[in-house]
Order: sequence, then C-alpha cells, then structure tokens
Amino acid sequence: MKLHVHVASDWIIDTDMREYRPSDEVDFCIIGSGAGGGVLAQRLARFGFSVVVLEAGPWHDTELDMVSDEAGSGQLYWNDVRITGGTEPLEFGANNSGRGVGGSTIHYAGFCPRLHPSDFQVKSLDGVAADWPLSYADLEPYYAAMEREYPVSGPARYPWGKPHGYPYAPLQAGTAGQKLIEGCVSLGIGVVAGGPVAIPAGRFGKRPHCIMRGFCLLGCKVGAKSSTLVSHVPDAVEHGAEIRTRSMAYEVPIDAEGRATGVRYIRTLDNGRRAEAEQRARAVIVAGYAIESPRLLLNSRSNRFPTGLANSSGLVGRFLMAQAGPVVWGRFREPIRQYKAPPACACTEEFYETDPRNDFVRGYALQTVAPLPIAMAHLIAEEGGLYGTALLECMQDYNHYAAIGVLGEILPDERNFVSLHPTEKDQFGIPVPYAHFNLFGNDRRLMQAGMSRGRAVLEAAGATETHSVNRYAHLVGTCRMGFTPRDSVVDQWCRTWDVPNLLVCDGSVLPTQGSANPALTISALAARTADWLRRMAPNGELRTSARSAVGMHRS
Amino acid sequence: MPLYDRYPDADVLAQRGHWDTATRQVVLDRVHNVPTYTYFDPQQRATLEALCARVMPQDHRPPEQQIPIGPWIDQRCASRASDGFRFDDMPASELAWIWGLEGLDQTAQALFGESATFRSLDLAKQDGVLELIRTGEPPGQIWRRMPAKRWWVFVAVRQITGIYYAHPYAWDEIGFGGPAYPRGYFALNFGAPEPWEARESAPQAHSAGSHHP
Repeated sequence: MKLHVHVASDWIIDTDMREYRPSDEVDFCIIGSGAGGGVLAQRLARFGFSVVVLEAGPWHDTELDMVSDEAGSGQLYWNDVRITGGTEPLEFGANNSGRGVGGSTIHYAGFCPRLHPSDFQVKSLDGVAADWPLSYADLEPYYAAMEREYPVSGPARYPWGKPHGYPYAPLQAGTAGQKLIEGCVSLGIGVVAGGPVAIPAGRFGKRPHCIMRGFCLLGCKVGAKSSTLVSHVPDAVEHGAEIRTRSMAYEVPIDAEGRATGVRYIRTLDNGRRAEAEQRARAVIVAGYAIESPRLLLNSRSNRFPTGLANSSGLVGRFLMAQAGPVVWGRFREPIRQYKAPPACACTEEFYETDPRNDFVRGYALQTVAPLPIAMAHLIAEEGGLYGTALLECMQDYNHYAAIGVLGEILPDERNFVSLHPTEKDQFGIPVPYAHFNLFGNDRRLMQAGMSRGRAVLEAAGATETHSVNRYAHLVGTCRMGFTPRDSVVDQWCRTWDVPNLLVCDGSVLPTQGSANPALTISALAARTADWLRRMAPNGELRTSARSAVGMHRS
Repeated sequence: MPLYDRYPDADVLAQRGHWDTATRQVVLDRVHNVPTYTYFDPQQRATLEALCARVMPQDHRPPEQQIPIGPWIDQRCASRASDGFRFDDMPASELAWIWGLEGLDQTAQALFGESATFRSLDLAKQDGVLELIRTGEPPGQIWRRMPAKRWWVFVAVRQITGIYYAHPYAWDEIGFGGPAYPRGYFALNFGAPEPWEARESAPQAHSAGSHHP
C-alpha cells in the first residue's frame, strides 16, 4: 500500500509498503511498534522473515499531526479508559502510554541510561525483588548497538553502572539543566551534562539537528529526538515489514496443540468502519507495553488456557511496577525559562545503588525535567492546594522555576497487578484493564530520600524556595522474565514458557527496573531476542508443542 | 487586588506567522472558535462559570481578553473525552462534572441554608465551600459517593487550569514563548529571552509567588 508520511522536518517516507493478506501465514506477527516492537520488526525484516506489525494507533505525520502545543497533543496517548485503583492509583494516558507508530517513544523525554550490572541481581545482592535470568554482560552489546542506532548523546565516559561512553557528543543543556549541574557541583555530587539522551548532537541521516524547542514530551516534529517512528520503523518498512495501523489486537487464538495461530484484531478503516480480521502467523510477539500486553493475554482464554494465555504461573499481569517520579522544583531570583532546550539534558546516578547508610535498598537518579505551563500549574496546584489568585501569582514566576525529576526504583510486588475489569468494556467491546498499585515501605522511604536530595540540590544551586509533588513514570513488570515456568511468564529470550511460538517483548518482561528510563533496555532486549530468533527459528525451535497448562495454576 | 502585569509587552499571538501550519490552526482555533454549551443545563452552566471564576479568576483582564473555560469543559463532557484512565472510586469525567456541580450546591446549602446555591454566594463564602471540598470533608450527600479531594484535583483544578494555561493570553501573563516550530530557540543560557520574546518587568519586586505564605 502507498505510504506517504513525514517522520521528520524534511523526510517523507514515500513508498509502496509491502502488504500481506490476513490469510497469509507470515513468519512473525508483532503487536505494537514502540521500543520493543519497532526494533523487533526492523531486525526480523532485515533477517529476511515476513513480518506484520499490528499497531493500535495511526501513523503520526510529524508535519500534519504533531503540534508545538501542550494541550493539542492528546492524540499521541493511549486514551481508551483504564481503571486505576490501590493506595496509589496510577495515572495513565499522557503520563506513560502511547498509541500510534513509535508507541510511547513518540512522547518520551529521551533519557536513555542503561541499567547497572547490579540491577540484574537485586535478589542476590539485596535479598529483595528478583534476579534476572540474564546478566548485564548478556545485554551489554545490545545496549551499545541501540546507543548507536537511536542514537544516544552523552559524555565520552559515563561514570555510573559499568562505565561506558556514548557515540554522540553531549547535547547542549538549557538554563534549567545548568541549575541541576550547579547544585550537584556545589554539593560535590557527580553529575553529567548533555545526556544520555536520544537526541544526536548533530544531523543524523535524514534527521536534522535539534532546534532546542523543548517540546520533546509532545512528539518531535523535527525528527531529531529518536523514536522508533524515526529510528527503526522506516528501516523495517524498507526491508519488507508491513506496519498495519489502527489495528487493535484482542485475542491470540491457539490450535489443538496449544500453539498460537495468529492474532485477532479489529481494524478501523479510513471511512471509520470497523472490520474484524485474523492475521495468521507462525509466531506471535506481543509488544504492547505493561498494560496492553497482559490484557491481551488475559483476554485470550481457551479450554487449554482458561485463565489466559501463557498464564500457567498465574503471573500474567502481576508485579506491575511504575517508577517513582517525584518532581522537585525551586524558584530562582534569576530567570530560567525552563521550556527552552530538551527537558532531558543532565542527570546524576550517584544515589542509584544500595547504600547501607540508607533506611532503604536500591536507589534513585536525579534528572532534569521541564514542565510546560499546564504541567507546572498542575504541580503547583497539587502541592500547595493553591487555586485562584494565589495560583495565578505563583504561575507568574513560571520563568523562574527549575525542576528536577527523581527517578526512583520501586520494587516488584505481587500485590500490584493488571487484570481485566469484570464488567466494563472499551470502544471495541474488549474488557477494560484494571490496574492496582500500592506503595510499600521501601518505596516510600526511597522516594522521600530522593525528594529531599532533589531539594538540597536546588537549594545549593541558589533556589530561594523548593517544592515537591509525587509522580510516577514508566510501567513495567507484568509479564516477568525468570528462571522457571513457575516463577515467571517468559524465559530470558522473552519466549513464554507455555506457548513455544508466543513471545512477549516489551517493558512488561522486566523483573526489576532500576532507576533507568526503560526504553533503551526494552530495545536492547528486543534486539537480543531478534538475534535468538534468527538462530533458533530456522531450527524449528518455535515449532515444538505447547506445555500442558491445565492443572498447573497456583491457586 | 489586580494581578501585577509582569510581561506588559507580551503578545505571543503576534508570533503566529512563525508557527507551523498545524500548530497555528490548533492555537487559533482555541482562540477564535469557542464552542457553545450543549452538555450542561443553564443552571449547571452558571455554577460551572462561578467555579471557574474562583479557580482562575480573571477580573484582572479586560472582558475581551478573558479566557473562556466553561465551554471547553462542556465540549469535553459532550464528547465523553477520556484522559486514558479513571479512578476506581470515581465516575466517568462527564458524570463527575454533573455530580460535582450538584455537590457545590449541596455543600453551599449545608453551610448557608436551604435556599443557598454556590453561584449566589459571595466570593468569600464560595471559597469557604471550595476549601472544604479541597481538604476532603465537605457536607453534602454527593460527596459520600464521590471523593471530594479527588474531584477537586483531577476534575476541577486540572481541567480548569489546563484550559486556562493552554491559551495564548495566559502565556503572555507568565512570559511563556509559546509554539516554537520550526524556528526553535537560540538563547539557551542565563534564562535569556529570544529577541522576539517578552521582557520581564521588575522581576524581583514582585516575587509574590511564595507557595507558603
């Protein structure tokens, strides 16, 4: 089919995209085109496999559909309702979910740190959470590959975790970033400027320079900030993958042997009509992120898998994690104009690791954030309960605020979960997801420490007053990776233990999350899984029959 | 007391020739094509307008410079717009508005007598009602089936302030440069304005914005 879409200021993908019929049995049907699905599609297409990606949202044409406006960008988010509960109910939508080619990489800030080696062995080192069934060394080459391919700007030597350098020079920081740097320097805290952020400091292929517009969270019209829309999907299309948009997957059907046969989905046509279809595939990869992936599996019930597909462990949907993301801001006498330059421009991971002097395990990072006016008004109103003239006056100081985001590790807990709402249905008639999220003691102490540290940094930079509000960012953990079919949903290659030709490859497989923004890790895992599939698929590894699931439920 | 004009020369809209077409269309549409009420009945409209006038008072602006808020909330409700989530103890946003507006009157009646309505109270009494809702203990039967604090933060304040600070007139009030594509920014150090951005008048004399008086 004819594809004509801007993905950057002066880059139009204008091509005849390969198109498959739903009845064609393709090698891989991938659900989602974000940090996981976008990279998988590109890799698998390059390896010569036939690939169809089902993407629930549209192509976002950067020139026609994206706007340089905070309130006008709602179409970038997953706006279908999700019901949220628990002691700390999570906000979804704009906060942490995307809909459209590129997924939530379209509107992430672009911070792309790696996990630390310790993140892969939290259970061994700290006695809590879980170990990963792979090590940092297993993922390291894929981190390096993704840093070249996104690509990522940052210092030549990044001192935290396993020290490493970035392929592109640090990106210039704006004045708000300078305040984080000044505060850290004054307190003797190590800090880096200009990354790691997925905005190349310079032109990259058909992608122009960053224009320092500061609207990263509303989609990059320039095409400078990396998203899979601009980094991997164009290459996937060029190598024969089909990206089928406005196609909402709702069930993965299985055959008599318990193997996935394809994906059932509802496609919204150009005239608004909806059509149901089933794409046949030799293997299915679910990459819908931490709410939609478990939702799809839980909605794929059969006699063989009565509690949901690949759920013999009972763990599909369990261990939902958000990252702690409190925002701390200070008021400065001098002007800051924090809306200029990308929000992601400086950070410290000095407090990332477990420190026996703390009353909590694991840690947090401090990163620049730069709330635009609406986000800033919401923060101020929420913290002080301000409204009316008092709020208007505080907002007149908008140009004098600099903000820092605390990015903290929340530990996985089985009591935090995603399930299907028993009665409510979405616009397609699919059960609505319910997300349940509580904070526990370690999480609360860690967040408190992060907020105090953030305020101390801003004070050291000269803030005359500081403030903070709790927020959460990123969603991971609901189809966890592990060592055995009893302790997890997928193995280290992201293949489900129960169904040999079904994989989950997105943020939901992360057993722990560290204090690193998850996109790069998700893409690195996807690239590693793609390499495994390249080796194993031709050997018939995906053609074995399913494990019997009946009678294996935990409760 | 009127709000001090911190950026007297600000006029973000005058920069619209520098914006890309899609952005210009979205922002100008917001300024010029205010929807008409279709969702709320006249009584609810009056209550909503009274609420908006307390959350984002605009007596410091001449009438032609006031930012319409109620009609946009009405449009959101009419289209059943979703932000992608709903708290399990809250109804859908369009219903939460109906309940909340009724709750304002119920609280007003509990405090000031059977004939009171929120919109007919003087400003100090209106603030008294809002303060009880904000802190989570307002009288009124509605507030027993919908948590008042949640309604205040996520329905009332978020939506009202969100509409206000989406408007170029509000950007002028706070010195925000507005849309910046394709031109971008060049002055990145020292919080400096671009040549086309408004200068701040007497930035130090008016640091009214301490959050903790």
